[in-house]
Amino acid sequence: MQIQLADFALMMPEIATAILAIGLLIVGLVVPREQAKGISFLTVAGLVGIWLLNFLYWHENASLFGGIYIVDPYTVFFRFLFLTAAIIVALAAKDYVNTLERNQGEFYALLVAATLGMMILAGAGDLVTLYIGLELMTITFVILVGYQKKEAKSSEAGVKYVILGAMSSAVLLYGLSLVFGFTGTTIIADMVPRLTLSGASPLLLLGIVFLVAGFGFKVSAVPFHMWSPDIYEGAPTPVTAFLAVASKAAGLAAFVRVFLIALPELQPYWITIVVVLTAITVVVGNLIAIPQSNIKRMLAFSSVAQAGYILFGLVAFSSLGVGALLFHSILYVFANIGAFAVAIVVKNSTGSDEIKDYSGLAQTSPFLAAVMLLCLLSLAGIPPVAGFVSKFYLFMAVIEKGMVWLAFVGIMMSMVSVYYYLIVAKAMYLGTPNREAKPISVSASTQIALVICLVAVIFFGVYPTPLLDLAMNVGYSFFPF
Amino acid sequence: MEQYLALGIFLVVALVFGVVVLVVAGLVRPKKPSPEKLSTYECGLETQGPTWVQFKISYFMYALVFLIFDVETIFLYPWAVQFQKFGIFAFVEMIIFIGILVVGLWYAWKEGALEWL
Repeated sequence: MQIQLADFALMMPEIATAILAIGLLIVGLVVPREQAKGISFLTVAGLVGIWLLNFLYWHENASLFGGIYIVDPYTVFFRFLFLTAAIIVALAAKDYVNTLERNQGEFYALLVAATLGMMILAGAGDLVTLYIGLELMTITFVILVGYQKKEAKSSEAGVKYVILGAMSSAVLLYGLSLVFGFTGTTIIADMVPRLTLSGASPLLLLGIVFLVAGFGFKVSAVPFHMWSPDIYEGAPTPVTAFLAVASKAAGLAAFVRVFLIALPELQPYWITIVVVLTAITVVVGNLIAIPQSNIKRMLAFSSVAQAGYILFGLVAFSSLGVGALLFHSILYVFANIGAFAVAIVVKNSTGSDEIKDYSGLAQTSPFLAAVMLLCLLSLAGIPPVAGFVSKFYLFMAVIEKGMVWLAFVGIMMSMVSVYYYLIVAKAMYLGTPNREAKPISVSASTQIALVICLVAVIFFGVYPTPLLDLAMNVGYSFFPF
Repeated sequence: MEQYLALGIFLVVALVFGVVVLVVAGLVRPKKPSPEKLSTYECGLETQGPTWVQFKISYFMYALVFLIFDVETIFLYPWAVQFQKFGIFAFVEMIIFIGILVVGLWYAWKEGALEWL
């Protein structure tokens, strides 16, 4: 394999992210603790810079280092998604990080490192690179989840994530090794011709089952979702926001690439598992979200359900499906991080994650309540806001393939989800505020994060065409069937 | 298969032999326990304190830092063997790799992972 220096130019966003992560670590070491607050600005500025840099790569469609890494519109789209999520989380996390006594610089360095892992996961063209990206993401998240050393819940969540993450990685790795054993290559794009030669042997199918389980864990699809509520609840809220959105999208990016690019020939075999997984994910996620009284747990189960909706795009096995999946993922970023950003602010001010403590929020802090309401409506898929359009296309994609029943399940469960999202809205708008409740002051950086989410959720709901066209084009170039 | 048969018989005989010896010894030997005999054997010395003790976390930190540089050496061997072939590119790549590790060491040092007391 000849290493082309020109290939590195296409990986500049990844390289820049790596430099940013190490740079932030060094800055955190050099700068005295009192001035550590400036690191958040540096992080956001760096991430925005990389975000802009990524625009240069829209029209690339290259396979680097003999297929190990792929820079195509799909990769670039996911880079945008992860960077957007990282920017908003970094903005919203500032208040939380300022409350930490130490290790402020590392928080941002780890956040950026996790973003790097996700970008590698989305761009990986071979199984080993994919695994490295996955581990970079997972291990970084383990540290972030257990970041509040003194809080038992956070440490417990960290330990749970280590063990469950290692187990799921092992399952995934076993699946990858079986697929490698049958195809004799780790390059995803080279697998199709070899698979047509060997056909579907039982052991290969076993490998695929392991892959579904491993990726299902990463996107927290039922029945591999058990880890998510505990870990989402225990982790610091900004980390939960990032974990629920970006790591899920990253797992999904790899899931879709492996199954649509490497294993399309075996679609008749794996589609059944994925359909069943999708249907129970949507049903169970939504039903268990109903009785939750803690907002982070509620959002955790809602994100399980959202993973189910997003998997509709994979089930559809068409370019429309992939496009809708991309579109829904990016809207999910704004809506979910917006909701979590409000939860961060409320937690910082009242110290509580209980839904009942949101009572009367609309009277004390109308802006926060409005952001929360619109983000939740977007998650539920109510027409004026963004989530409706993307869910519409996801359902359309599966109907187009004749799976009307699945779309029906999705629509039914969307209606169920409105109930538990509106419980929060009811508390905020109809509840009476606590006597001593004061308006919650929101710092400038959190306000920027909230405004970004709010504007995105409304704008893409009213005028979705440009983003939708973009997602559909990416979907078509990725999987032109 | 023929060769494995011999191996299998050998394995079974070895197991049976071990069990038989232990059982026979257990039946035949005299049993006269005393506190002295039941005490934990520790290199012939008297045991000190309980066995469940807390370890200093620095052991772990040391092990972690050591492991990273240990693995680095493993990477350096094939690199050194192929160095002539790849030339300046491999050199720069290894410099970057070691650079990242040095930043990690610097971090560990500054955070006090290398301090014993």
